[in-house]
Amino acid sequence: MASHDTIRRMTPVSDTDTIQLPATDPEALARLERFGGVKLLNEMIALFLDIAPGRLSTAADGLDRGDAPTVEDALHSLKSSSAQLGAPRLSRLCEQGESVAHRGSLDGLGALLAECRDELGRIEAWLTSVRAERTA
Amino acid sequence: MTTIAVVEDNADNRLLLQALLGDRYDLVEFDNGVDALAGLSASLPDLVLLDISLPGMDGNEILARIRDDERLRPLPVIALTAHAMAGDREKYLTAGFDDYITKPIVDETLLIDAIERWLARR
Repeated sequence: MASHDTIRRMTPVSDTDTIQLPATDPEALARLERFGGVKLLNEMIALFLDIAPGRLSTAADGLDRGDAPTVEDALHSLKSSSAQLGAPRLSRLCEQGESVAHRGSLDGLGALLAECRDELGRIEAWLTSVRAERTA
Repeated sequence: MTTIAVVEDNADNRLLLQALLGDRYDLVEFDNGVDALAGLSASLPDLVLLDISLPGMDGNEILARIRDDERLRPLPVIALTAHAMAGDREKYLTAGFDDYITKPIVDETLLIDAIERWLARR
């Protein structure tokens, strides 16, 4: 039987509000297109697809080392980028993790980073399809 | 042309700022504090957009060094940050930032209005 600590570590940090947030926000992409046309939108998508997995990896490496500031910084960056690129649920997950790490804690962050990876996979697929549609 | 220094480590944010501001202002970009402080001294821009979370020297420390430098001290410095929790705005204004704009950028007029407001005071 799992101990209380084990259960706590396995329990996702995300809350009901986060789960109910939409995974994708097309309006955010429309906004980027308004800011700089399809060219900016495609460049922003390309940068996100290039950078975001590395930020999650940096957070995971920080977690493995018990390095809360590294986790905090990586999730802070991903929070901002994912919000700009229309991924509100991923952004909220990052915000929750950033907040935990800011307190110097790593409690529950293994489960949260796993949720982030799942969410990022969905966002990567969505952005890739949007980019393909816009460039078709 | 008015010169604005952008101190921001994330390439996606720099790209976005270039798209939003590049037609209006001459932007000089820095992705870390050491390069930024050297560049600000060399080019003396009209205004600084300063991210808070930067590798190494963070935005608060860069601001402190700007305010400690006689030539840089008068520069308007706008915090451009994803630190957007309750109380953050007051915290950064109290720390000496002239203005505070949050990321993600949703309404570009908030950013442009803040820039124009501070440029007009120079």
